[in-house]
Amino acid sequence: MTRIRVSVMALGLLALAAGARESGVALKDDVLRAEPFGDAKTVGTVAKGAQVTIVKRVSGWYQVTVGKTGGWVRLLSIRRGQATKIDPAKEAGGVAALSSGRGGTGQIVSTTGVRGLGEEELKTAEFDEAALKKAQSFAVSQADAQAFAAKGKLKARKLDYLPPPGD
Amino acid sequence: MRHAIFCLLVVLASTDAQAQDFEKTLRGLRDQFTAPAQESPRAEGAAPSIPPFGEVPEADEIKIGQRIAGNVLGAAPLVGDPALQRYVNRVGRWLASQSERPGLPWTFGVIDSNDVNAFAAPGGYILVTKGLYVLLRDESELAGVLAHEVAHVVRKHHLKLLQQTQLIGAGTELLKQRVGKDQRVQGLIGSGAEIMARGLDKAAEFEADRMGVVLATRAGYDSFGLPAVLQEIGHLSADSGAVALLFKTHPHPDERLARLGEAMGSRFDGIKDGKSLPERLHKTSR
Repeated sequence: MTRIRVSVMALGLLALAAGARESGVALKDDVLRAEPFGDAKTVGTVAKGAQVTIVKRVSGWYQVTVGKTGGWVRLLSIRRGQATKIDPAKEAGGVAALSSGRGGTGQIVSTTGVRGLGEEELKTAEFDEAALKKAQSFAVSQADAQAFAAKGKLKARKLDYLPPPGD
Repeated sequence: MRHAIFCLLVVLASTDAQAQDFEKTLRGLRDQFTAPAQESPRAEGAAPSIPPFGEVPEADEIKIGQRIAGNVLGAAPLVGDPALQRYVNRVGRWLASQSERPGLPWTFGVIDSNDVNAFAAPGGYILVTKGLYVLLRDESELAGVLAHEVAHVVRKHHLKLLQQTQLIGAGTELLKQRVGKDQRVQGLIGSGAEIMARGLDKAAEFEADRMGVVLATRAGYDSFGLPAVLQEIGHLSADSGAVALLFKTHPHPDERLARLGEAMGSRFDGIKDGKSLPERLHKTSR
């Protein structure tokens, strides 16, 4: 019995480590359905602000568990994850305050690949003609893009733009 | 309305000594209101002007966009990965081909910054930061991001913002003595890439989200690429420097998701063959 519980726990930890399960929060009241379809049977409800565990995504649907109930809920009713911080300085190997491109001492530090791009950087930016030319050199024709789409079996379809909600 | 604007210009002019030049400018502006903008008789190679009302000729829009994109690139250069740059251009051009402005000189790029953001300059110049790119998990998510930016260009959101700014700035900007043409364009778009640091109104962002989802779907992608990216960004903490400007210039991702959810509803339930293409997403080193 003890052994079983331990292995179940180990499996759980493995699943967490692999990022297989992720938590989320319901952005609004919604229903849980038996399958990822709008006309599937209702198996429960989820209230705005409720914590859910996300099992997987299939197109516009998440399979979730809410307490002991499992089901499918519209992806747009859920916000993924908990608030987490991303820190560009850490990602760059511990150099501080890189998002402004400057170290704490006010000196410019070497920021290859870790430049911040805040209001100040944009306002003081200087036109770089060579960089613009370079960017333009990567542009592709419509025909090239179409061939690329065909390779990915992307098929164009007609669809009208969405009216604003409430209209 | 027109009367009010003229009053505003007069107020601005009265603070400046060059009142005579101002009158000329005022006459010029008035002519622009009454004459179709496309036929503005400018000498070839002259700096584009931004009429405060009406259509900006496409050639001018493109020049303005090039200038802004060149400024953003001055702050953060392209990532030195030609295969990546070519890849985003292919995805982007395919999306733009589904829009109402397929013939613009669409140019896409990934720029070397760990900030999470994307920029759409008029005329079809779209830049995405590496910080945003590395968050993407498949091609449909890249398509969602690029399609949102394509929508800004199609609807001329930033160009209109520039026009509005011009309206306020016209009195002082146009009063300046003739300067070199590049400086003059610079004067018209503000300093550096200031316009890209300014937020559009919320309605424009919600519209770009709704259009982005449709453009990606038209292009054959899974419709939920953009929502998935908004969910990813939504749980980044607002006090992280990397999303500071994005959060300042856009409604919170949760609000965008909620609005998009209302607009999409069950309309996409019938579309089941959209592609995600995770295997084709070009991997770039962080």
